[in-house]
Amino acid sequence: MGKGVLYDATKCIGCRACQVACKQWNELPAVATANTGTCENPPRMDAYTFTRIHFSEIEDNGKFQWVFNKLQCMHCAHPACVEACIVGALEKRPDGPVTYDDRKCIGCRYCQVACPFGIPNFEWDKPMPWIRKCTFCADRQGAGLKPACVTTCPTGALKFGERDDLLAEARERIKAAPGRYVDHIYGEKEVGGTSWLYLSPVPFEKLGFASHSSEPVTVNAARAMGAVPPVLLGVAAAMTGIYWLTKRRRKLSRIKKSDKENTGVPR
Amino acid sequence: MTNHYIDLRNADCVMIIGSNAAENHPVSFKWITKAMERGAKLIHIDPRFSRTSAKADIYAPIRSGTDIAFIGGMIEYVLDDMEKNPDNYNMEYVMQYTNAALIINPDFIFNDGLFGEVSGGKYTDAAKNAWKYANTKTPATDLTLQDPNCVFQLLKKHFSRYDVDTVCNITGTPKDVYLEVIKTYTATGKKGKAGTICYAMGATQHTYGTQNIRAYGILQLLLGNMGVAGGGINALRGTSNVQGSTDMCLLAHILPGYLNVPVESDTDIEAYLKRSDKHPDSTITPQGLAGDTSSNWWGNARKYIISLLKAWYGEAATKDNDFCFNYLPKVDPKINYTHIGMIEAMGEGKIKGLWNWGQNPASGGPNSNGARQALGNLDWLVVADIWMNETAEFWKRPGVNPSDIKTEVLILPAACSYEKEGSISNSGRWAQWRYKAVEPPGEALPDLEIMHLVMLKLKELYQADSTPKARPIIDLNWNYGEHITADAVAREINGYDLTSGKLVASFTALKDDGTTTSGNWLYCNQYSEEEGNKCARRGTVDSHPKQIGLYSGWSWCWPLNRRIIYNRASVDLDGVAWDSEQPVIYYNAAAKKWEGDIPDGGWPPINQAEIGAKYLPFIMKPEGVARLWGYGLVEGPLPEVYEPWESPLDKNLMSGTNNDPCAFIGKYMNERGTSNQYPYVGTTYRCTEHWQTGIMTRNLPWLVELMPNMYVEMDEELAAEKNIKNGGNVVVSSARGEISAVAVVTRRFQPLRVGGKAIHHIGVIWHFGYSGMAKGDSGNILTPTVGDANTTIPEYKTFLCNVRRA
Repeated sequence: MGKGVLYDATKCIGCRACQVACKQWNELPAVATANTGTCENPPRMDAYTFTRIHFSEIEDNGKFQWVFNKLQCMHCAHPACVEACIVGALEKRPDGPVTYDDRKCIGCRYCQVACPFGIPNFEWDKPMPWIRKCTFCADRQGAGLKPACVTTCPTGALKFGERDDLLAEARERIKAAPGRYVDHIYGEKEVGGTSWLYLSPVPFEKLGFASHSSEPVTVNAARAMGAVPPVLLGVAAAMTGIYWLTKRRRKLSRIKKSDKENTGVPR
Repeated sequence: MTNHYIDLRNADCVMIIGSNAAENHPVSFKWITKAMERGAKLIHIDPRFSRTSAKADIYAPIRSGTDIAFIGGMIEYVLDDMEKNPDNYNMEYVMQYTNAALIINPDFIFNDGLFGEVSGGKYTDAAKNAWKYANTKTPATDLTLQDPNCVFQLLKKHFSRYDVDTVCNITGTPKDVYLEVIKTYTATGKKGKAGTICYAMGATQHTYGTQNIRAYGILQLLLGNMGVAGGGINALRGTSNVQGSTDMCLLAHILPGYLNVPVESDTDIEAYLKRSDKHPDSTITPQGLAGDTSSNWWGNARKYIISLLKAWYGEAATKDNDFCFNYLPKVDPKINYTHIGMIEAMGEGKIKGLWNWGQNPASGGPNSNGARQALGNLDWLVVADIWMNETAEFWKRPGVNPSDIKTEVLILPAACSYEKEGSISNSGRWAQWRYKAVEPPGEALPDLEIMHLVMLKLKELYQADSTPKARPIIDLNWNYGEHITADAVAREINGYDLTSGKLVASFTALKDDGTTTSGNWLYCNQYSEEEGNKCARRGTVDSHPKQIGLYSGWSWCWPLNRRIIYNRASVDLDGVAWDSEQPVIYYNAAAKKWEGDIPDGGWPPINQAEIGAKYLPFIMKPEGVARLWGYGLVEGPLPEVYEPWESPLDKNLMSGTNNDPCAFIGKYMNERGTSNQYPYVGTTYRCTEHWQTGIMTRNLPWLVELMPNMYVEMDEELAAEKNIKNGGNVVVSSARGEISAVAVVTRRFQPLRVGGKAIHHIGVIWHFGYSGMAKGDSGNILTPTVGDANTTIPEYKTFLCNVRRA
């Protein structure tokens, strides 16, 4: 599946250098924010914020914990957005990134509806709005560099590499420190697998991660689309059958009627 | 730091106290993370559960200002355990390398929190003399550590009062957590194990801050953690080049290289050196240890002060005029020239003009309202900075009428760090060289250039002045040509051999006869004829035999590129490393030389040296051994529990002496609050996203986006009591003033049970002010003008306040 990133929540210190590096590399403006009683800002991703850190103050096993996790496009193996896009503006590249080409986009926003993680953002405030999201720094990768967020992370909470190697490393980390991690790599199988993989010290639901089956979300679209020919044929066949039956019945009924009229003598 | 950042990864246990390293020193966490990957445990001790606590194996809550109780209890445990289980500790280290065995003056008294008689905020000379060794030149020792007057027994007696219950009653730490901290950290006392203590302003910014650090020092020495890899006392410095600024003496009490500033009664160099105890006569030789010689390295200060004077005054400095020693400003020992002392004097109208360079006293010092008012007494104020800050705009701050203020304010736009070349010395003493990336905007100039222009102008103005006061300016050596470069200054700081004209190789080659110059003896060796500017080196190979992460070819550190100082304590008397897997140095007997880091003195190991040349490892102390008993500080040889100036308790739970008897108490607009009016413990701190008084970060949109508003943090119970909602607006007040802020109500603060009652903290960030793009009230409006007894660092970390819904 190409490249991936392993995010290890036990190493993240919630410093948000990744948020700033992303803005700097993508030349995104700061958005107006207010402190609503939390470190988290901006409160949601949008056209100008491709990534952010979520802060969770929770109880786990009777112990108070403050766990951080990074949110951004997951660069799925079977992206729903790619499947939903009717003009092919979104593309999953073999080296990992799910890229977006605004030259093709017609602004229908089906990708926004389709994404199980709610990622594609829309430039609501522009007269010529495009979809915006994390690009997995495809341009940097093309030049042999790591994504901006990975490069800037001071503790190595973000690690970039071949997805298979990262999975092996994640399994190794879980094995080497029993009790430190929940025995699950989020993104290994969810929605058919994503480029971004996560390790956590607490159950993922407590951090706001949605539970997804390992079935690619695109399976629903595929099923729906795949059902169209047989349904079409089946309905057509059934309709044809009903038509034939009805027509025959009418014909038989007309023959009966005309026979009666002609001779008055039943045949 | 005695060690350095990368070395943190070598620790078996990292104890972070008085610091929020993950938020304020994120890069330190690169190495702490690596230590934890290797199995090290992380302990975090803090009034508040912060982003550092989120990564810790053990988080111990502590009432702000009670470090001495906390660490004192750990010391008590170790002293007791050492007698029961000596094999768990490095007793040879404690006996041979510290002053544990030395005999103290039998007249020493400690009673009810005081170490003798105090008069006028100072201990009497008689009291201080009783803190010294019984024999001040050749102290006796007792290697059985049983003599009731030996340091070890006096320590036991003093800390016997610091039992776990007493400690937890003072700090508010739950007992089971406290015991877990003790057990985990003191396990590093074993030979071959190392524990590191990382601290920052949470430890130092108290009226007894110096004694807080002393407590850490005592603990680390008892555990044999000084001089070893993964050990040490590691101050995480508060700004990127504060280490450089203190090394170069940007403080009122020192000259470059931590030489003393002269006082009025220092009539000549000899008197100066004797008075400041930096003289060969001050050597102390303990009797009965395996080591029989103290190198008393400060006894070489004569060579350093003369080389400094030659660097400054060049040809004018000769033996006949005591090398222009009398050109140096000499201080009045009765006056406090520190930041607080300066603001006090300004408040009294004693200061006409202030040159304010990259500093923001209107928001950065304690008691902002007082500081801002005091600035109004200046005739003139020069502000050199990269943005307009609160000090530059004090005359038009909210609430004042500019026409009432007569101060003339001159702004000198300065270049920022990317717009100029030079070195920055990090916490690990590495003076890393940096280059200019872009031109400064508009008329902004590097500080060096500004200073150069000012000095050229001064020389021009005074050149015809024949009075004595003009001589220090006329005779000042200032040969930089038209454009000064950091490179030229670096070479001058290293120093020259005037006979050969070549750069001096090391401070061991500096002389007291006027034939050498050096702008800072500690930095002598940073620039050589062979290698050039060593600070600019970028060697990425870890060439240490056991690869402990010294990276000695990357940049240069003082002294002499020795990365872990006091490293002669990392080996036994035969020169064999206590930790064979992570040695710092070890002696190669066949080759008769040391391997590894630069040894802290190249003499052979004690057991292999000649009699009279068995050098003890702690070379900067006159007695050659480290001080568990530290008689050189103003308020006593040992740390003792005191309450902060504004305390939530009516009485000190440890003794009848409530406060540090020698703390500096300011008078100018410095009202003192009581716990009746101000029931909560206020503490100021920083967040990752903003920097100091915020003048850089509040002008950067991406950072303002992360942390847009002034905020305070408090626990849920206090918020409920005051009907304060998370994210709501509040007013926090103290006896000095009040501020508006957003309330962050969180479980990360919990009320602590202290002396039978619940203590609530209110955490206040100090990054905001009325200048810049994103504005807000300054946290320091709340803090008091009181300072540490030894250093006068302000007590920003503990004061009393109140809060109400806005």
